[in-house]
Amino acid sequence: MKCKTIHKNLIFFLEGDLPEKEEKQIEAHISSCNECSAFAQDLKKTLGIIEKEKTTETNPFFYTRLKARLESQAEPAKVPFWKPVLVNIIQPVFFSILLIAGIYTGFKIATPVQVNTASVHYTSEEIFPYLNEMQSEPIEGFLME
Amino acid sequence: MTEAEIIEKLQNGSEQAFKELVDKYQKLVVNTCFGMLHDKDDAEDVAQDVFIEVFRSVQSFRADSKISTWLYRIAVNRSLNFIRDNKKRKWFQSLDDTVKSKNAIFEKFTSGDSDDADFNLENNQRANVLHEAINSLPENQKVAFSLNKYEDLSYKEISEVMDLSVSSIESLIHRAKKNLQKKLYTCYKKKCI
Ligand SMILES: [Zn+2]
Repeated sequence: MKCKTIHKNLIFFLEGDLPEKEEKQIEAHISSCNECSAFAQDLKKTLGIIEKEKTTETNPFFYTRLKARLESQAEPAKVPFWKPVLVNIIQPVFFSILLIAGIYTGFKIATPVQVNTASVHYTSEEIFPYLNEMQSEPIEGFLME
Repeated sequence: MTEAEIIEKLQNGSEQAFKELVDKYQKLVVNTCFGMLHDKDDAEDVAQDVFIEVFRSVQSFRADSKISTWLYRIAVNRSLNFIRDNKKRKWFQSLDDTVKSKNAIFEKFTSGDSDDADFNLENNQRANVLHEAINSLPENQKVAFSLNKYEDLSYKEISEVMDLSVSSIESLIHRAKKNLQKKLYTCYKKKCI
């Protein structure tokens, strides 16, 4: 076997990918050729780095960090199945009832006052006090001073 | 918990199930990312992104595939994206990195006894050469090779992760090894270690 052929197949030899016959041939060549043996040693050392690099221990703070990241960039929380019912139906209905109740109470409270209006005479100043204030002190007056 | 139980609990938003998943698969994900990125910190950062994606997309997980296959896929895709993004940034950083690695080597030399430092230095250089050679592989070859070497996955398992036939994986890994050998031989000839 020529050195060139060896160089082409050395990685497969080291990885144990070759059929037995070829493996034996390369083995025989390497044991008698310094050049190929030196490269085989070198290649073996370099590829051996992979085994050394494999993660054996885990970072104990990995989950804590992960959780902090998840919380800091939290997307809108998952909508529970009952949420749309609450937002779209129950809430409007509740506020409508509140509104109607409010108007109803308003009328109830206002009614006795209405009875009195017939007997009491109000001047226009008494009914629209704020409007009249505006009349006597126009806004331009403030701006001018 | 079985895989199906973990997934079901995760889909119901159980934090306990998420913690269990992370504890169980942290090493697998970090190692897979490291096999592609060759940097411990980068690998952990990307691994975190992987689990965040898992947490957010668990609703769409289909129970007919294995959790590990799903995790490998996300880890591979995230790592490839990281490499692509990094390439753009790298150009500007190259000077900074050269300075940093020189400092690292210097520190290795000055700390500890010299035999140990020599050994570390040689291993560091070997690691750099190996990483450069792996990085120069075409994407598919790189993925297949690192899953096979760093995670000891069989060709069958890699074919499920990459969604390719077993024979395609065989050929990818064969070509990856050939390319690596070529690079490492050139380096050996130039005495770059
Ligand atoms: Zn020879």
